[in-house]
Amino acid sequence: MLCIGQVEYIFSDKTGTLTRNLMEFFKCSIGGEMYGTGITEIERGVAMQTGIKIQEVEKAANTAHEKGFNFDDPRLLRGAWRNEPNPDICKEFFRCLAICHTVLPEGDESPEKITYQAASPDEAALVTAAKNFGFFFYRRTPTMIYVRESHVEKMGKMQDVSYEILNVLEFNSTRKRQSVVCRYPDGRLVLYSKGADTVIYERLADGSGDLKKVTREHLEQFGSSGLRTLCLAYRDLNPDMYERWNEKFIQAKSSLRDREQKLDEVAELIEKDLILIGCTAIEDKLQEGVPACIETLSRAGIKIWVLTGDKLETAINIAYACNLINNGMKQFIISSETDAIREVEEKGDPVEIARVLREEVKKDLKTCFEEAQQYMHSVSGPKLALVIDGKCLMYALDPSLRVMLLNLSLNCSSVVCCRVSPLQKAQVTSLVKKGARKITLSIGDGANDVSMIQAAHIGIGISGQEGMQAVMASDFAIAQFRYLTDLLLVHGRWSYIRICKVVMYFFYKNLTFTMTQFWFTFYTGFSGQRFYDDWFQSLFNVIFTSMPVIAMGLFEKDVSATLSKKYPELYQEGIKNVFFTWRVVAVWAFFSVYQSLVLYYFVASSSFGGQNSSGKIFGIWDVSTMAFTCVVVTVNLRLLMMCNSITRYHYITVGGSILAWFIFVFIYAGIMTPYDRQENVYFVIYVLMSTFYFYFTLILVPVVALFGDFIYQGVQRWFAPYDYQIVQEIHRHEPDERRTGLLEVGNQLTPEEARSFAIAQLPRELSKHTGFAFDSPGYESFFASQLGIYAPQKAWDVARRASMRSRPKLPKKN
Amino acid sequence: MNGAASTDSCSPTVLKPKSKKPKYSRFSQQELPANKLNSNTRIFSRYFQVPKQMKSPVFIYYQLENFYQNHRRFVKSRSDKQLRSKGFKGDKKSMETCKPVLQSTDKSLIVPCGLVAWSLFNDTYGFSVKGKSLQVNKKDIAWGSDKKYKFGSNVFPKNFQNTDEVGGAKLNSSIPLSEQEDLIVWMRTATLPTFRKLYGRIEQDLQANDIVTVVIQNNYNTYGFKGTKSLVLSTTSWVGGKNSFIGLAYITIGGICLFLAVSFILLYVIKPRPLGDPSYLSWNRNPSTTSRTLS
Repeated sequence: MLCIGQVEYIFSDKTGTLTRNLMEFFKCSIGGEMYGTGITEIERGVAMQTGIKIQEVEKAANTAHEKGFNFDDPRLLRGAWRNEPNPDICKEFFRCLAICHTVLPEGDESPEKITYQAASPDEAALVTAAKNFGFFFYRRTPTMIYVRESHVEKMGKMQDVSYEILNVLEFNSTRKRQSVVCRYPDGRLVLYSKGADTVIYERLADGSGDLKKVTREHLEQFGSSGLRTLCLAYRDLNPDMYERWNEKFIQAKSSLRDREQKLDEVAELIEKDLILIGCTAIEDKLQEGVPACIETLSRAGIKIWVLTGDKLETAINIAYACNLINNGMKQFIISSETDAIREVEEKGDPVEIARVLREEVKKDLKTCFEEAQQYMHSVSGPKLALVIDGKCLMYALDPSLRVMLLNLSLNCSSVVCCRVSPLQKAQVTSLVKKGARKITLSIGDGANDVSMIQAAHIGIGISGQEGMQAVMASDFAIAQFRYLTDLLLVHGRWSYIRICKVVMYFFYKNLTFTMTQFWFTFYTGFSGQRFYDDWFQSLFNVIFTSMPVIAMGLFEKDVSATLSKKYPELYQEGIKNVFFTWRVVAVWAFFSVYQSLVLYYFVASSSFGGQNSSGKIFGIWDVSTMAFTCVVVTVNLRLLMMCNSITRYHYITVGGSILAWFIFVFIYAGIMTPYDRQENVYFVIYVLMSTFYFYFTLILVPVVALFGDFIYQGVQRWFAPYDYQIVQEIHRHEPDERRTGLLEVGNQLTPEEARSFAIAQLPRELSKHTGFAFDSPGYESFFASQLGIYAPQKAWDVARRASMRSRPKLPKKN
Repeated sequence: MNGAASTDSCSPTVLKPKSKKPKYSRFSQQELPANKLNSNTRIFSRYFQVPKQMKSPVFIYYQLENFYQNHRRFVKSRSDKQLRSKGFKGDKKSMETCKPVLQSTDKSLIVPCGLVAWSLFNDTYGFSVKGKSLQVNKKDIAWGSDKKYKFGSNVFPKNFQNTDEVGGAKLNSSIPLSEQEDLIVWMRTATLPTFRKLYGRIEQDLQANDIVTVVIQNNYNTYGFKGTKSLVLSTTSWVGGKNSFIGLAYITIGGICLFLAVSFILLYVIKPRPLGDPSYLSWNRNPSTTSRTLS
């Protein structure tokens, strides 16, 4: 738990952790006009930073939100596109979406019940979009595609149109596009094409420069918002030309050797002189609050590495979407998808491939590293990002290159590893853990993350859809990635501070106590006479000083949870381990020696003369009991001085400890036991307390002993304040959030959740059976659901109930 | 009082059981000056002048230096049970600690046993002013609780100092232990090797410039351990005897506090640090450590 306040590297899985693996049609640009009113998480984050208020368009209440379609623009929906400046292009756009794909429809042929089976969720999202725009693709036969088109001829009219699919030029990673040649019922021959902007733009017909320029701007805009873009284009075909091409195509298709390559070549012949329609933007739906969370974590000085099995492009895309990489950063890409490597791979000689790969990786690493060093030396150079794929990583993890990889990656503010195997995930984790000796944290949701979760210092499992393996292998399980901020910045930080303080306090109190005994030894002829009674000594740690430190370990917080999250930089104190350095230990040791000197010498030398008006003299046990009283008081008060938040539990435990000492000594000194015990301290406390010396000393000695610490704390706070102290000062006028602290969990609640929370807070009739056996959250929600009240069962919900239960009387008062 | 010199030193550091008698040397007991005094020269007198008026009661303390009454073997060498309970036969465990002063030469139990009692201080002082002797009250010099609970009113000394080696004072075996206040005072062992013990009270005012004659019977051997003996006359107020330490400490600490308060106030006036100034935050002071991903 100490580690969780000092995490410096987070290794995160992508799918299911950062993203929901859910593609949604989000925006589009048709004929140079941008449609779609949604705002992505990133834009929200940017706006929050720059302080611009975003006008969130209220969604029409009746918009059916469908899986894969998160688009709302009245200009296009329900046939409104007919009134747009160029409805023909719109029509082409929608038809392209509805025709150019390899999706299979399943189920009933009605818009509500149909489901689309697609190779990639993007395609399904596009077809769903077409459906929502009124071009409902409902049936596919080997040669035909059936689309139910609305509003084409005139508003409100629906007609079923069948398109004959003549050729499908499929998608692959080299072509990065997909085309379909289709024949309209009226005989029109069209090629619809969609693909990456780079490949489509190369193949556009000349002219219409404005459209291209505007669309390119839109593409960049979408890209920087973290959206995945596709360009759509079409081309009207001349039947003769098509026939000639089709012969070649059939030849290529039926060739026995190098078929793929030949098909690609043939496709090139027809996929040219395209006319740009527009582009689509699909949101790879991130988990809620992920970019904000990542931004917060990086401000906290935590570096996030994404380790994913996905393709390079997808990984980079997500890195953009999560704000891990932006255009201001210098990117180093070490990929095996280069021409040189591909060439060797085609030859297929595994030994040769390995050799070349190793050479290439070595070369790449070296150049990247040198370049990185240049940037490192310049003061305001751009931040660095490293993208590396699994194949290269295999060689880069080789012992000879490992050091360079580590140095390079530690200088990068974000690292993305794609196409990595579960084993490699673990290797990368332990590379940092062992090589850089930093605290690492792994987070993932699937079985493929288990190795990585176990390799890191702290493993976190997300209990998601991918089963429980990750959760079972993890140290902590959370529900969503964004709760990482709470886990690390709030609880991690607190636990770090608490553990540091508890450890230092234990060290201090025992040193102080033991040193008084040590000084006494010098005055007993080194005979080993103990200063304190046996029982005092034994119970010092057990009773007289044990409870306050527990209270501190439980309740200490320097700044509240909200402020911890508002100033994530405070977390850096943990990463730098500022509260547990040798310097801190030395300061504590110094002051505990000082205190022990004061405690011993002040008591010993002031007890020399006669006491009270009767002039009687103290013995050794009077003095030692006096000294022990002072030690107990001093050590307990010192605890209050080091606490940043003092709750009533602190008062109870500190007061209780001192009181416990007096109660103990009153009883202990008041009885004679039948067993053999030297009655050294018999009646001592009563004798002591009958003297004025006792009271004068009891006030003086703890004050003098704590004086040094007091001055040190004052000077330290004034001249070299810690960050948390400044934050405390900034917010010194704000009320203590002990009460509202409970509500903090709710600050990201949806309206329904907020409502149910509000309901939970309402006064309700307490039945007299609250203590019955089924009084557990699970049963509670079961009965609630029987009554028709929706009570979501979430992790924080349980936690909140638990915290409410500790104050069961609250609802009565309201 | 019989001035029979103890055959061993009073310091427990050199106390040994009989069987381990130290070899004869120049520093052996028999060679030490105190042993060589004849009974006449052991009694001598000193004079001193009272510097200012001392109101009754004037307390008489004897002060020993370099006497390790807090030595581990010395401290434990007693039996509290024996001291308070009549007819205590001595269980093995509790009497173990009393060795070597446990049994007299005829193998009967010594009451009170142990080194602490054995080494009881036995110098005596007599005071006189202008030829008129002053009465020394030796009652009520021990803490009431000790008298009441720790030393039995029906326990009488037995076989005390009846061994080969005689330590310090002898006790009147007809007086119960609870009345033997010298013993009770002595047995509340001291914290430090330099300590004072209450000897008695002069219940009479001493006027300034009175010459007080003290007749000292120098019985107690402190030469063996290079200790010194002093005699202290002191009065008390309601808080106790003279104890300049606590007073000085209070004044010093108060002074330092005042000084620091003033200097911090000056600091606040001259070079104030605005409270809660965000520019003091480490990430604002040193922009290179900032890591904002969003520009």
